[in-house]
Amino acid sequence: MITGFQRFTLIARIAFVAVLSIPVLAGVVGVLFPAFGYFPALGSDSFNATGFAQLFAVDGIGVMIGLSLLTGVSATLLATLGALSLLAVFYQSRYLQKIQRLFSPLLVLPHAGVAIALLFILSPSGLVARMVDVLGLTHSSGVTNIYWFFPYDNYGIAITLGLALKELPFILLIALGVLSQPQIARKVHGYYQSASALGYSPSTIFCKTVLPLLYPQIRLPLLAVLAFATANVEIPLLLGSNYPPTLSVAVVQWFNHVDLSMRFMGSAAAVVQLLVTVFALLIWFVSEQGIYRCRHLIYLSGESYIRRGILKTFAYSLCGLYGAMSLAVVYAVLLWSFATYWTFPNLLPDGITTLHWQTAWRGVAPALGNTLLLGIIVSAVALIMTVMTLESETVQIESRWLPMNNRFFVVVLFLPLLVPGVAFLYGLVWFQQRFFPQGEWGPLFVTHLVYVLPYVFISLAVAYRKLDARYIQVAYGMGKTPWQVFRAIKLPMLFNPLLVAFALGLAISFSQYLPTLLSTGGRIPTITTEAVALASGSSYRLTAVYVVLQAILPWLGFLLAWWLPKRFFNPSTQANSVIGNPVYDTKAG
Amino acid sequence: MTLSNSAQAILKYILVSLHLLMFSVIAQAEVVQFHAWGGSAQVNGYLQWVSEQLQKEYGITLHHVKLADTSDAVSRVLAEKAAGNHTNGSVDLIWVNGENFAAMKQHQLLLPNWVSSIPNFTLTNAQKNPAMVTDFGIATEGQEAPWGKASLVFYHNSRLLPTPPRNVHQLLRFSRENPGRFTYPAPTDYLGVSFLKYVLVALNKQHRALLYKPVTERAFKTVSAALWRYLDALHPTMWQQGTHMVRQASALQRLMDSEVLWLSFSFTAAEIPSAVSRFDLPRSTRTYAMDEGSLANVHFLGIPYNAAHRTSALTVVNFLLSPKAQAKKQQLAVWGDATVLDMSLLSERQKEWFNTQQTHPSALSTSTAVPLFAEPHASWTDTLRDAWFKRYGERL
Repeated sequence: MITGFQRFTLIARIAFVAVLSIPVLAGVVGVLFPAFGYFPALGSDSFNATGFAQLFAVDGIGVMIGLSLLTGVSATLLATLGALSLLAVFYQSRYLQKIQRLFSPLLVLPHAGVAIALLFILSPSGLVARMVDVLGLTHSSGVTNIYWFFPYDNYGIAITLGLALKELPFILLIALGVLSQPQIARKVHGYYQSASALGYSPSTIFCKTVLPLLYPQIRLPLLAVLAFATANVEIPLLLGSNYPPTLSVAVVQWFNHVDLSMRFMGSAAAVVQLLVTVFALLIWFVSEQGIYRCRHLIYLSGESYIRRGILKTFAYSLCGLYGAMSLAVVYAVLLWSFATYWTFPNLLPDGITTLHWQTAWRGVAPALGNTLLLGIIVSAVALIMTVMTLESETVQIESRWLPMNNRFFVVVLFLPLLVPGVAFLYGLVWFQQRFFPQGEWGPLFVTHLVYVLPYVFISLAVAYRKLDARYIQVAYGMGKTPWQVFRAIKLPMLFNPLLVAFALGLAISFSQYLPTLLSTGGRIPTITTEAVALASGSSYRLTAVYVVLQAILPWLGFLLAWWLPKRFFNPSTQANSVIGNPVYDTKAG
Repeated sequence: MTLSNSAQAILKYILVSLHLLMFSVIAQAEVVQFHAWGGSAQVNGYLQWVSEQLQKEYGITLHHVKLADTSDAVSRVLAEKAAGNHTNGSVDLIWVNGENFAAMKQHQLLLPNWVSSIPNFTLTNAQKNPAMVTDFGIATEGQEAPWGKASLVFYHNSRLLPTPPRNVHQLLRFSRENPGRFTYPAPTDYLGVSFLKYVLVALNKQHRALLYKPVTERAFKTVSAALWRYLDALHPTMWQQGTHMVRQASALQRLMDSEVLWLSFSFTAAEIPSAVSRFDLPRSTRTYAMDEGSLANVHFLGIPYNAAHRTSALTVVNFLLSPKAQAKKQQLAVWGDATVLDMSLLSERQKEWFNTQQTHPSALSTSTAVPLFAEPHASWTDTLRDAWFKRYGERL
């Protein structure tokens, strides 16, 4: 017998699947039609392949496709290898917590923010070039170098670097999330104990026993990262050459072209982008197979000091790199946002001013308001839908019509992350203009929800599923209804992960560039759209202010998520605040 | 005492009500709806000042309708014409130039032959300055009055480049000797096309007349040969060897700020010193104009054919063209928009008004007169852009 509450959770599950799949599929259809020449508003109501013919006649189209593939695959590969070697070397080490902290600045900064921050550090007048000059490592001292490697190189090295730097912390976070699940953590702990007793080093144990267990669990997120990296817009737009750019950037430029007939070619390019992403996934699958076939090499080889040495060096240098990067990002971006004149190659500006913050402050209010309002509403809705959907997993029901099948559900969950934004967002806009021409906030809300939902779900699912079942069984044993169990036991126990998921939702919503821009036609500015606009504006210093804001917003969200439970659910704090003055209670935070 | 007090009170009452009555009549009759782009705080601030002056001197209230895009006002007048509203239009005055003017002229949306009746228009010396009556190569025919002008100015980092190139040939020599220190935006950007036009005009002294007529295939072939030769030589010496080019004009300023570029250019001379004051350009930045001339375009004021308050609108235009209003507009702290008046026709006292402004070391010197190239005929822009893309490839 199903209670009303349980029925409600089942409805929520259907809504969850619908919200994730319908916009994406509708968007893909909306791009397919104009790609094949059907766009009645532009006076074309028959199907043809002119768009594709035009596309393949474009100079350098092959290079564009190649760049998208190359940068996407190599960045994902680098980030994955980096994250795994970090885990191999540091997983059982007590430094793991500290290492995670090194990676957090690049984790909370949105992609656009990372790209801009890298410009501050690595461009010919950036922090690194200044250090090189100050240390006297260059011939033309005191003058910016023109043959500098970064950015806008023709081989996409800058793009690959930007993507890899940004994706590594994310993969690390996902992997650590998986490893913290109780059933996996127990197994891993056992492996480490028995293998250490046999004399293996932690990194060898990781490669031989933990990796085969871990990889299948992080595979789908990795594929999402790969799909994202092949189709990302912000990083190649800000760091890549425009002669030619990656395909994703070209798609955006064609769609934004004043000549509306470019839409046909743009749509065709969006379809090709989808194929490029699929092809990148295929490359990944084939490589996986290749490595799987050769697995005996990994399993059967013994301890190798050389291999261990290489792995260790790699992991330590990654830590060094990220440590230096994080420091440099904070240093450069903060200082630029307060700098007066800053002549090359000085490492400090001539003076400090709050002028740029004042200027930004005057213009930032509407964007900040939009960003917060949207983020809070979207995350709240995503959180409710996620909790209900997770709760529906406990309902015992046999039905052909309900999406209870786990495999199907997981694919749907990752659908918005696997289908490139440039491939479905334009189609979605087409549908929107066709059916809801006046709407701005509605479509904006839906596109953000599409991207926020998967992350909130992934973040919360682990905690939800590992909740100690005994409490729940006891409650049921005492005759409580599912709703009572949910309200009185699950919600309070999950308060902490719920807040973290909410904060993650905020962070994802804050960072959306393309969905925000496209679904509103640029009419509702957010901090991220403003930052990207400013990055192509005339002031480095104002851009720096926006990057700081972009970093602070999600960071504040996570800080609150981390602080609130301690404040309200920590028995010792509560006791203290009753007895003494909580202001002096330093342990509370 | 009481009697005189009450008499005074009555008199006061009568005076006040008379004043109020007069004011309300004026307010009803004399509101001029000025449709003008409202995206710049400096422009909006200047129009605020203009409104106060007009109220004081003529009792006219100027209402600035802040447009996001001038074409909005153009379509509004067009819609009114289509709806048969020929006498009571909602737009009294409009700030236009270029393609918006071309569209309004084509659809006969502007009041014709009124400009010469404006007393202050004579101060622009239009006989000698044909740019005052030509809008992107199209004759204005008295349908719009010049208001201000923008010219392509160059600016350089005087610490790294003490003596900047003074003409188009020296520019190429400079870029050869200092590779990577100059670039221009891809011609999708208006400043990029403007640079091409500048080079085109500067390299074609003998064929210049062709540029002010509608473009033909033959004319284009004749004048473009020198341009392509020039650009073929320039591109490999530019920033990023001319492969990656900036997408927007604003990026040039950023590259100047980071001292990667040593020389750049802009259509708004006033933005250079203002950027230096905001620390967004190095202190050693200096603005100058090329000796051979600068590409210039003028922006204009038009009165729609159906304007409800055309008499007041004419008064407003005359005020906007007065030396006082033009001098105020030219002040860097106000707007920094160059005057359309011919200095030689002004009295010494009026000239003073233009000189009292504080000079900024980075600003364009006002003492040197620079010859101005008018914009080529509007039809050249697209042809030029398309030919460039065909030759050098699209930048996306």
